[in-house]
Amino acid sequence: MLRFGLRSKFILLSCFLFLLPWLGYEYVWEMEKFLRQGQEKTLVGTTRALATALHERPALFDEQTNFLDQVVKGRDLYAYNLKNPIQLDGKLSDWQSYQPLFWHYDKRYLQKTDPEHKSDDLSFDHMVGKFDNYLYAVFKVTDDHLIYRAKNSLSITNNDYLKIGIKSPNGDFNTYIIAPRQDGWVNAFDANTKIPFTKIQGFFIRTETGYNAELRFPINMLGNKLGFAVVDIDTTKAPLDSKIMATSNLNNPSDLGSVLVPSPEINRILKGMGHSGSRIWVVDNHHRVLAQSGTIQNADGVWADGLKNQPPKNAWQRFEQTYLHPLYYKILTRPENEFLDTLHDVASMQGAHLAKALKGQPASSWRLTPDSKAVILSAAYPIWIDDKVIGAVIAEETTNGVRTLRNKSLEKLFNVILAVMLIGTVTLFFFASRISSRIRRLRDTAEQAIDAQGRITGSINYSDSNDEIGDLSRSFANIVGRLGGYTNYLENMSSRLSHELRTPVAVVRSSLENLQSLPQNELSQKYLERASEGVERLGKIITTMSEATRLEQSIQSNESEPFDLQKVINGCMQGYQLTYPEQLFELDVCQNPLPMQGAPEFIAQLLDKLINNALEFSEANTAINVGLKQSENKAILTVSNTGPALPEGLTEHIFDSMVSVRSQQMQQQPHLGLGLYIVRLVCDYHKGSVTAQNNERGNGVVFKVTLPLQS
Amino acid sequence: MKKIAIIEDEAAIRENYIEMLSAQGYQVSGFADRPSAEIAFKDALPDLAIVDIGLGHEIDGGFLLCQTLRTLSKTLPIIFLTARDSEIDTVCGLRMGADDYLTKDISLAHLAARIGALFRRMEALEQPADANALITRGSLKLDTQRMQVFWQQQLVDLTVTEFWMLHSLSQRPGHVKSRNDLMSDAKIYVDDSTITSHVKRIRKKFIALDNNFDCIDTVYGMGYRWEQR
Repeated sequence: MLRFGLRSKFILLSCFLFLLPWLGYEYVWEMEKFLRQGQEKTLVGTTRALATALHERPALFDEQTNFLDQVVKGRDLYAYNLKNPIQLDGKLSDWQSYQPLFWHYDKRYLQKTDPEHKSDDLSFDHMVGKFDNYLYAVFKVTDDHLIYRAKNSLSITNNDYLKIGIKSPNGDFNTYIIAPRQDGWVNAFDANTKIPFTKIQGFFIRTETGYNAELRFPINMLGNKLGFAVVDIDTTKAPLDSKIMATSNLNNPSDLGSVLVPSPEINRILKGMGHSGSRIWVVDNHHRVLAQSGTIQNADGVWADGLKNQPPKNAWQRFEQTYLHPLYYKILTRPENEFLDTLHDVASMQGAHLAKALKGQPASSWRLTPDSKAVILSAAYPIWIDDKVIGAVIAEETTNGVRTLRNKSLEKLFNVILAVMLIGTVTLFFFASRISSRIRRLRDTAEQAIDAQGRITGSINYSDSNDEIGDLSRSFANIVGRLGGYTNYLENMSSRLSHELRTPVAVVRSSLENLQSLPQNELSQKYLERASEGVERLGKIITTMSEATRLEQSIQSNESEPFDLQKVINGCMQGYQLTYPEQLFELDVCQNPLPMQGAPEFIAQLLDKLINNALEFSEANTAINVGLKQSENKAILTVSNTGPALPEGLTEHIFDSMVSVRSQQMQQQPHLGLGLYIVRLVCDYHKGSVTAQNNERGNGVVFKVTLPLQS
Repeated sequence: MKKIAIIEDEAAIRENYIEMLSAQGYQVSGFADRPSAEIAFKDALPDLAIVDIGLGHEIDGGFLLCQTLRTLSKTLPIIFLTARDSEIDTVCGLRMGADDYLTKDISLAHLAARIGALFRRMEALEQPADANALITRGSLKLDTQRMQVFWQQQLVDLTVTEFWMLHSLSQRPGHVKSRNDLMSDAKIYVDDSTITSHVKRIRKKFIALDNNFDCIDTVYGMGYRWEQR
């Protein structure tokens, strides 16, 4: 069975410490939620502040197209703020980054519906942009038959051409035509006067599928309406059949599409807000962006200010950054400044918050960037003119600031928790080790206090500590002490008993002897003799009983002396051979001296008892084997005889006081089981040991005495 | 008629001994405790005292009585007759000046013999030495009549038991006497270890006079012998 020590249990329990980081994480998570709410409120506040600056300033919005009820994509143009100047060269590389903003015009934009129309015949991609004081327009036209203006032709319309309709700031409506004679630099003509109009410049270049055209004109020409038409003529022969694909109807000024140019005034106001750490948009009520400031990549609000990563200043910070932070950021995510932003350049803003704001309600929303790397918080606030919502201010921030803040606090929290866990675990470990070692020590002492025979070998050193283990050790010491007392009582039983019996025996004996001295008849003489015999036996028992006690006493007072074990054993064996002439002894006794320290007479007594025991149990006509040999620095004495085997479970106990395994027939002589007890006493005195075992064949018993030799 | 005093708290034993000894022709008086005995001894000392160690509630009353008696007389023979057979008690009793230390499992006949021996010794001390009763083994001189032992002309103070054991050993030097032999020669019935301790005590008494004494030889498993050097 798997065994769990105290220590492993404690360590298991200390695993609950690992709940701490989880709790901390949850706590910080909650905190982050509050921070986000705070950020939301702040952001709404930012938008409100800006909206407040824009309220009731119709001048800022008048020029725009707010009077339109609706804005149609493709017809109503939006001049994007271009980040870099456009080189008029007909190549579209300058526009590369604005490619997604190109609007594709196809047969839906034909002035005359023609179901047969194919996109090969005529279609174009187009966008307008604003840089510096110029408005740029780009056309990527697909046309299967490009017809240039003839070299000597006065007409500018008998060929493929671009038509531009502009409503000037003071309300005049002008149309201009770009009719290139060849690839290269082109100027516009006034459509009515056919006089070249050099304010509109452009570059025209033929391509495989059609042509590209880039145009530029000063922005101050432009009111709030603008339209382009691409006129395609596929044959120079009359009748001229021209296809016109236009952003809006250029023939009727009122049908002209609007153009929205980001408002420089609002931009200026926005610029003042540009330091708020947010990306801010101002949109009109058609969701079109009037102005924009800031980039979302840097818009993390004001939350992470002062929390930027700094180079480590000391060893701890170095350690923290080198070892701990990589660990933490396996769980945490570091906010990234590189993420995809769908609103990078948009002409019109969408979103529930904006819709709500345009209805007059400040609102905010969260969204995840498409690459899931950042969460963007948007807040929108309506701009009022009179009772009408004229637009909205949108502010956007990433939650990176909050997340940085959260990460910083989690780092600190993890540091603390790590320290607490480390200290806690180590403390618990040492505590558990200490407890288990104390308990083990107690167990060891308890086990050592009682030997295999169940005798008390020593007292327990109890500890003074004032806890349960101390109590336990004290009570163990107490138990062992009391047990020792009881064992002592039992061991002294025989001597006490013999002492107590001696007096009544003396009474009986003296009385009987006195009685014997009187004249007796034959019958009473017989009984007297029997009684005397009984008393004699009783006396013998008493003598035997006190023998062990006396041996113990003489052992205590005996002074040990050096002697030769071999000589003692050999001498004794000679004696036995004389004493028991009928008994056969087989000797295997080594002849070299075996020096020992002790009492030779005790050894002789030990051998006496072993031989007596062997004689008593050995079968008739079998030899008693006595062996003595040296094994390293120990002498091994064996006495073996054939006869009844030792009962199982008693081999350890036959050396105890008053234990006898004699059968009923052998109990004729008084026997108290003290002989082998004496053997053990002598062995103990010489710091040796004695064991009894059945021999290999199970038909006899071997006593083995091991005695240490003096080196 | 020799006067014997028996100080024994067990009435039955006391009476039995009194009767037995009276039958042998001694004049015996018995006492149950130490105070009554001491009062009687102030008037007249007996010729021999048989004392039990435990007297009534006095555990060591016999020892105290022995000391009192020794102050009254240096030569009065004292026998401890007790149930206590421990080594310490034996040594203690003999040291206090008792002439013999017997345990209660002794037979009456044996007791009578010991008493007789003690009286003979007393008498012998008063009579001039008889040359025939002297045994001489080198530096050892044994006066069997006066029960005195001399080693290199110095008196060795042995008890009666010890005297008879030494006598038994020295009668036939070089011959091994088993413990049983010694026991019967000394007329005591004790276990082997008591014999061993008696022999040891004899040795010690000689060694006290002569550091080089090694005439009593242990023959392991068989017994002892007197080795003439």
